[in-house]
Amino acid sequence: MITTARLRRAVRRETIGVDVRAALNLVGALFKYLSLAYLFPAAIALGYDESPWPFLASAAIVALVGAGLEAVTQGKEHVGAREGFLTVALIWLFAASAGALPYLFSGDAQLASPVDAYFEGMSGFTTTGATIVTEIETLSHSMLMWRQFTQWLGGMGIIVLALAVLPRLRVGGRQLFEQEAPGPEIEPLTSSIRDTARRLWLLYIAITALCALALSVVAWTGLDGAMSTFDALAHAFSSVPTGGFSTRTRSFEDFGAASQWIVAVVMILGGANFALLYMAFVRGRLRMLGRDEELRVYLALLCLGSLVLALELVSEGEFAAGEEAIRHGVFQVVSIMTTSGFASADFALWSPLALVGLVGLMFIGGSAGSTAGAIKVVRHVVIGKILRRELDQTVHPEIVSAVRFNRRPVDERTVRAVIAFVLLYIGLFAVGALLLTIDAAVADVRVTPFEAIAAAASTLGNVGPAVGFAGPMGSYEQFSDWSKIVMIALMWLGRLEIIPVIVLFTRSYWRA
Amino acid sequence: MRIVIVGAGQVGSTVVEALHDEHELAVIDLDAARLSALSYRYDLATIEGNGASRGTLLEAGIRNADLLIACTSRDEPNIIAAVFTRRISPETRTVVRTTNVEYLEAWRERELDVDLIVSPELETAYAISRIIGVPAARQTDVFAEGQVQIVEFDVEPGTGAAALIGQPLKDARVPDDSRVASIIRGGRMIVPRGTESVQVGDRVIVIGSPKAAREWSSLMARDRKRVDDVVVFGGGRIGVTVARVLLGQGIRVRLIESDRDRARSVAEELPQARVFHATGVDPEFLERERIGHARAGIFAMRDDPKNHYAATLAKLHGVEFTIAVVHDAVSMDVFERAGVDVAINPRVVTAEELVRFAHDPRTQQVAMLEGDRYEVLDITVRPDSKLVNRPFSELPMTGSVVGAIVRNGQAFFPHRGDMMMPGDRVIVFTESARAQEVERAL
Repeated sequence: MITTARLRRAVRRETIGVDVRAALNLVGALFKYLSLAYLFPAAIALGYDESPWPFLASAAIVALVGAGLEAVTQGKEHVGAREGFLTVALIWLFAASAGALPYLFSGDAQLASPVDAYFEGMSGFTTTGATIVTEIETLSHSMLMWRQFTQWLGGMGIIVLALAVLPRLRVGGRQLFEQEAPGPEIEPLTSSIRDTARRLWLLYIAITALCALALSVVAWTGLDGAMSTFDALAHAFSSVPTGGFSTRTRSFEDFGAASQWIVAVVMILGGANFALLYMAFVRGRLRMLGRDEELRVYLALLCLGSLVLALELVSEGEFAAGEEAIRHGVFQVVSIMTTSGFASADFALWSPLALVGLVGLMFIGGSAGSTAGAIKVVRHVVIGKILRRELDQTVHPEIVSAVRFNRRPVDERTVRAVIAFVLLYIGLFAVGALLLTIDAAVADVRVTPFEAIAAAASTLGNVGPAVGFAGPMGSYEQFSDWSKIVMIALMWLGRLEIIPVIVLFTRSYWRA
Repeated sequence: MRIVIVGAGQVGSTVVEALHDEHELAVIDLDAARLSALSYRYDLATIEGNGASRGTLLEAGIRNADLLIACTSRDEPNIIAAVFTRRISPETRTVVRTTNVEYLEAWRERELDVDLIVSPELETAYAISRIIGVPAARQTDVFAEGQVQIVEFDVEPGTGAAALIGQPLKDARVPDDSRVASIIRGGRMIVPRGTESVQVGDRVIVIGSPKAAREWSSLMARDRKRVDDVVVFGGGRIGVTVARVLLGQGIRVRLIESDRDRARSVAEELPQARVFHATGVDPEFLERERIGHARAGIFAMRDDPKNHYAATLAKLHGVEFTIAVVHDAVSMDVFERAGVDVAINPRVVTAEELVRFAHDPRTQQVAMLEGDRYEVLDITVRPDSKLVNRPFSELPMTGSVVGAIVRNGQAFFPHRGDMMMPGDRVIVFTESARAQEVERAL
């Protein structure tokens, strides 16, 4: 008798501890608002005398699915801390599909396959910038702008956007914010998380506007014959979020020196901590910039990388010593390290040393609280300090010391989380590269191990271009569908910084 | 003077002992046994009750009191007693004992309406840093929140002081921001005019910045090197405060704490210190970490016998100079007899500091030198003093020397052309016999 009771209790304990309906309800509620995003490309379509129907149809589907999901799961409006992980993970999968729908409806043969369209959608929202399209110029204006626009929407984060504008997330939004925000910790600008989200988005919009204006001025004054107002806006949409989509197949190669310098500066801003930028430039506390440890290391790495690459380019005879070598060195290092993925030249053809260096930079990433992906500078700094402490403790076993960042002690939980993150990141990268290599062999696609490594690093870090056929001027089209699915997963994991997604695959998450 | 004392614990009774002769005392405490013990020994009024209650304060005669000394072991009742006192009787000056650095900071920013705050941790830390900061000094004391230091040295042959000996003071290269306040030769004080010079066998008293005091120390020291490496045993409040003060002076500090969590929070609080999680009495640990190489050991653990044992062990390992923080008054003799170089009782240090305030309304601090023959006063200048707004070169030469002036919280070391202004705090060196005259003139 007792055994049966115990057994029954044990069985009951196995029930699901996550309120899936509540999570789906919130996902539906947020998803339906994404239909509003299609109004912008639809307007562009009308302006260029193109068909707005792919966008209007997508809008209808997104609105219906979202509202439907919300209606089906009605009565479950409360999302707790547990459901947060699921909500955030799901909303990004849904967003990528919202990005993909217009490609399917456009009738363009390059993105006709659902996997290809979904890859492009995920690459857009996660600001990766890896593309399937081989001849980008053949896309219509509205479709080009939609690609750029998805990067802009995804850059600051969908949850952050929702927090800023939707009343629904007034309660419990902080937790969702933390799942989505890049970096180990978030620093709220104000006491209200909603207000913080608003300010971050306003700053984001302001930088985008400035970038678009600067590029437009270059276009209007004739400094850069290749740049147009359309290109200016399009590239502002993809450089501030460190995205990397371009309106040209040859990425940024066709554009002039002035445009390349502007975009390099904007990418540096995009890869910096937005909370810090806000404090410095909006609140006028410029001294905070000098005191920020992460920013110092971030800029130092960019300078060092640029210098080394410029020297390498000159010594390999790619460019003559001078402005050109420096510009390409800076542009490429900034573009890769901030995980943007623009190219001012086809770096896939550069020397092995330059290539290995650039692939290495893919693991560094930008700052915490930026739009950049990858591991992020702050984690590298913290890992360095942890290693130094470990060495110290080997010699002095009794020593007690705190790992400090920006002069503040980092608590041991965060220290462990940083180590866990980096291990997971490297692990996923390795698994991803392995899967790509195996699949390439199975599907008989010619992929060298280094190309597989670069593609895995690039998609997991939300960078964009890899080497080989998936280089900066190429596309990911040649990969098999399975490889593309692997990379879609890598982009998704990379954007959400792994942990919120990977907990969904643990038993303890689902158990009551 | 009528003085109300809140708290009859160790600090309170030390205060009573120091003041009962000259002043009229009323002591408040919750514990009747402590009060009766005091009243058997001294002639004073005792009130059993809570010092942080207005009724008790009124009963103790706070309306007619000149001074309130709130020195229970708990910060908040002390502060509340002072706050009530300020309301009931604005003329009564208030002195509060607190262990919390935050209250001390608030007081310095004038956010706490109390006349003086005394922190046992900080007073102990200052006392220790004074002892190890200037190794050659016979005696030293700090004024104006540590901005001004007075030091007494013996001039010995064969030291860096040779460059000074025999030189007229006006030509001698003395460290910046300092001046010789007095020369004592053969038991007599010599006014250090510019033409006077320092001789071997003299005893000089120097007033200057802490940096200048260290420079003097390295001039005067024969072979003892500056203490630049210290091990603090115990990461309690006193240990941490001592470590912080020493670190602030550029001294390397290692701190040993036996509680893991406490060690961790000390490490967070003091980034420059090396913190160890160890007992401090493990010979293997002491050997491995070369604790014996430290020039001084400070023993600030909670337990007197443990401090004693650890200090003895550290000496065995080669620590040259040991300073122990002693909690029980009777331990003092045991420690010093047993070979600990200096024993410091925080409660006594605190009580001394509290008592200083009972001297004169304008005098913030007094230090005694050569027994009680000379005094250094920290005194605020009256606006109507005859000495203000006149350059020092025009003032009559007496035996008294103004060594430093604190204006708007900032200390500086006056030259002949400078002048005193109303409201300045001045650090004056004088013969004790003339101290009252000096106070009147200022």
